[in-house]
Amino acid sequence: MLNVNNLNAYYGEAQVLHNVSVSVGRGQVVVMLGPNGHGKSTLLKAICGLAESVAGEISYQGQPIDHLSTDKLVNMGVAYIAENRELFPYMTVQENLKLGAYVKAARPHEKKNMAKVFSLFPRLKERRTQLASTMSGGEAKMLAVARGLMSNADFLCIDEPSLGLQPSLRLELFSTIKEINKQGKTIFLVEQNIPHIAELADKIYVMEEGCISFEGNSKEALGDKHLKEIFLGM
Amino acid sequence: MFSEDTILLFYEITDVIIAGLSTGSVYALMAVGMTLVYGVTKAFNFAYGDFFNMGGYFAWILIVGLGLEFGGYPVVLLIVMPLLFAVGYGLEKLLVAPLRKRKDWENKVMMMTLGLALFLTSLYMVVFGVRMKSLPPILEGTWEVGQLVFSYQDIMIFVMSISGILIFAWVLNNTRIGMAVRAVAQNPVGATIVGIPKERIFATTFAISTVMVGFGGILLSQKWFINPNSGGIIMVKAWVVTALGGMGSIRGGLYAAFIIGMLEAFVGWMFGMSYGIIALFVLLLATLVLRPQGLRGKGE
Repeated sequence: MLNVNNLNAYYGEAQVLHNVSVSVGRGQVVVMLGPNGHGKSTLLKAICGLAESVAGEISYQGQPIDHLSTDKLVNMGVAYIAENRELFPYMTVQENLKLGAYVKAARPHEKKNMAKVFSLFPRLKERRTQLASTMSGGEAKMLAVARGLMSNADFLCIDEPSLGLQPSLRLELFSTIKEINKQGKTIFLVEQNIPHIAELADKIYVMEEGCISFEGNSKEALGDKHLKEIFLGM
Repeated sequence: MFSEDTILLFYEITDVIIAGLSTGSVYALMAVGMTLVYGVTKAFNFAYGDFFNMGGYFAWILIVGLGLEFGGYPVVLLIVMPLLFAVGYGLEKLLVAPLRKRKDWENKVMMMTLGLALFLTSLYMVVFGVRMKSLPPILEGTWEVGQLVFSYQDIMIFVMSISGILIFAWVLNNTRIGMAVRAVAQNPVGATIVGIPKERIFATTFAISTVMVGFGGILLSQKWFINPNSGGIIMVKAWVVTALGGMGSIRGGLYAAFIIGMLEAFVGWMFGMSYGIIALFVLLLATLVLRPQGLRGKGE
């Protein structure tokens, strides 16, 4: 569904990604792991048209998308869910969700998706008239994921959903992501750490210093000596 | 019961209050437009006051220049407002948008709009001459209540600028484009993520603010004349209102506009018109020292 081929990305003078190639199949959950600051987020941003300077090929459903702006990508069904949420602080939960359905492709499905999102995240339904800025970290995270779903996208790029969440909420969010995947969405997810993620993933990549250092399924990942060292300190 | 002098004073004060309310309402309109552009694009528009004159001149061309005798102001507004929108949109796309991609673009935009202000002022002088132009009142006649006399013009100016603000607030809160504008103001990155074409929203916002201040120009030029050089002082007034109200707060801008309209009217009545401007600056300095965030800073 998504193919990234020999992608290089730069941040000012510094090269952040080196010849990165990744592929995500329809209906999969693919997870990109790696230490902080090694380029995982940049890759997601590059896919979603949010990175500054990028060279290489990115294609979605066979079409090249590397020069498209974010609004066109969202309209095509590629949505980005940011690590730091990027909500609209002085708007209510409901308004934030409504804006999630801003692009043309999402508008006809707004009602249906709103109901879906509220059944996935009942807490958001309870708080729908509350301002986004008054929500707790966990709730804000849920709202960010929910807003991404409102775009009716088939392909979700989720940047570190578990960051800053307590373990119980983390598990809850992962199981919701699994549920979203079961409902037919393809998911490309970035995480720092391996626990809980392995059972979710159909495929795991590891990125170190801007290069892909591992590719395989979760079983292989859990058995890999080097990965154990960097993630579990064993 | 009251002496004749007291009654006369009462009438005079009523006149001053009405003048303050009608100019204050236009200031409110202008301040809302200014706070909108600043809130959304985070750049200061120095040419703002010259768009005030642009509205006045466009109306003057139709009414006096071409001497058109048709439905009067409703038709003028119907022609001039879309024209102002187009000018605002075009100028943003042509002059401001390319700068935004560069480093340190806020300063570059400031310089650009300052240049635009000087250009427009000179353009007006060349095209319309340095002599001031006047517009006929939107509605002639007066409304008399006992001995009190209200001019229909003042009433119309008040009603129309307040309606303008209400329509704007409605659009901002109830339409898709209004929501998109608020989204960009609150979080430009978030807006991009949900697929809002930010560039188009910037241009639209600039255009809407051009319409608002130009509309204010059409209204106030009936009382004040159109002066090619007045862009700077108009921009400063809009800015004083915005600073007193609190950057980014529409409600604060409304309060501030009426406070300033009244202040100007009363000081002008007591000491003469030129003191009104001085009072304005004293108020600005006091605001910046005592309450830099304005009446209601941040939010909305």
